[in-house]
Amino acid sequence: MNSLDYRNQIETDVLAAMGRPGLKYLAAMGFCALLVLGLLACWGYQIFTGLGVAGITHPVGWGVYITNFVFWVGIAHSGTLISAVLYLFRQPFRSSFNRAAEAMTVVSLLVAGLFPLIHLGRVWNFYYLFPYPNQRLLWVNFKSPLIWDVFAVSTYLTVSCIFFYVGLLPDLAIVRRRATGFTQKVFNILSLGWQGTLRQWKHYNKLYLFLAAFATPLVASVHSIVSWDFAVSIVPGWHTTIFAPYFVAGAIFSGIGMVLTLMIPLRKALKLEQYITLDHFDSICKILLFTSLIIGFTYAFEFALAFYSGHKSEISQYLYRATGHYWPFYAIMVFCNGIFPLVLFKKSLRRNLKFLFVLSIFVNIGMWFERFVIIVASLAKEYQPYSWGTYTPSWVEMGITAGSFGLFFLVYLAFIKALPVLSMTELKEPHQ
Amino acid sequence: MSQRFSFEQEQDFMDKLRELLHSGTDPKQIELHMPYPPHGIEELMGEKESWVRFFSLGGAVTGFLTGLGFASFTALWWPLITGGKPILSLPPYLLIGYILTILFGALATFGGFLLLARMPSVKRMTGPEQFGNEFVIEVEGETP
Repeated sequence: MNSLDYRNQIETDVLAAMGRPGLKYLAAMGFCALLVLGLLACWGYQIFTGLGVAGITHPVGWGVYITNFVFWVGIAHSGTLISAVLYLFRQPFRSSFNRAAEAMTVVSLLVAGLFPLIHLGRVWNFYYLFPYPNQRLLWVNFKSPLIWDVFAVSTYLTVSCIFFYVGLLPDLAIVRRRATGFTQKVFNILSLGWQGTLRQWKHYNKLYLFLAAFATPLVASVHSIVSWDFAVSIVPGWHTTIFAPYFVAGAIFSGIGMVLTLMIPLRKALKLEQYITLDHFDSICKILLFTSLIIGFTYAFEFALAFYSGHKSEISQYLYRATGHYWPFYAIMVFCNGIFPLVLFKKSLRRNLKFLFVLSIFVNIGMWFERFVIIVASLAKEYQPYSWGTYTPSWVEMGITAGSFGLFFLVYLAFIKALPVLSMTELKEPHQ
Repeated sequence: MSQRFSFEQEQDFMDKLRELLHSGTDPKQIELHMPYPPHGIEELMGEKESWVRFFSLGGAVTGFLTGLGFASFTALWWPLITGGKPILSLPPYLLIGYILTILFGALATFGGFLLLARMPSVKRMTGPEQFGNEFVIEVEGETP
């Protein structure tokens, strides 16, 4: 069916989500805003007092701030996978998720970008990261993985923003047509004069295809580069060649988990059951299951690598992860990421949304702890026994971590009311 | 004098378009407005392939050369051995080149689109004509 009525119905249903917010929505916004205030208060206190208020100290100099950075960058990846990679592979189910997933990518990258700044302590020196000659005319060190990271993440954010905006363009013109007053004026500007002419469509289709092609390698490369922040060092537990694929699979896995966490309540609250069907969830869960298998395999394989290397520090590090101070977190990550998602082999569970929502929360928790275990356990037990030590996050770090979740959901909730959550133009096309 | 035809169905729109072109109407006289581009519309209208691809290629090549050149130039500007690696260390510099290939390529593709699609259009932004969800054919001048 692709009649005029059907096309109008899509617009009515999708744009209904942009209507006046209800009490539940406002309460959720209020709760998230409180968490963000907590983040600002904790960060302000840290800036005023010094980095000593955080739990990071010798030997664990990277704690939950870097854990959060890796976690949020990872979350971003599934958005690009769904919007770019599945577009190139012509998977029609992507049109139910792509807009929401792309928004998730942009928001989570913005949240991730905060953490290197928070971790710096003296945030006013953030510009040291940029490539410019200092007062001695010495440039940044391009051999450092941290500089690769600055380039990779800022490029990823820029390309994701362009891709998100380009995908929105025809839909912005629809909102313009249906809006009135000030909103219409805003969308007049945002839609750049889109009128769906042949000239516009011809160049637009190529633009979207090429942007998808440019964004696709980013899915693999950005988290690979993040993984090299660790793997290029010689710290036991970090210095391994499997880190790049391991991190990429983990990023997609965690991102799909977050897509499920967001889309299941969103679908119900915005009454989009007709457009986001159980078949779509079934398909996306297969990606979750596939990446879970890769992660589960990696958990076993990295142990094997450590023992095969015969290197005492490597062997000791992996035994420490599983049996040392952080063993409960290790157990959580193995269960949540490598074991629990295997139930998705059962088709009925892939179509049970209540179950999927619970599973997605487990995935989010498991992936956060995975990054924590990788980062903290390796630093806590390096080569020299005299420099071994443990790390416990301070209340400032926990407040900032909770605030980052508040910030993510706050901006995401704002997106729901400000822009169309589904790609109306794609849904109108006959093959959908 | 101009004529306007509006259609609810994609098929009717395509049939009318074929009829107009078959009767000898010059495609340059025809302006279309579509909620989505029907399959085969560009071929039907005799459109050449979009030049956006040249912007993509130009941006990507420029980005790669800039990244590689920039990293090499800054290393040679003050040759300082770090981490025992050569001054001109190709693998990390290729990585910077790769990242800027994507960045410049994406920016150039978007810029090329705006240029070729003649956007943003102030005229269309201030007083856009609305076509709803219909497929519209506008024919300028006389039709055969």
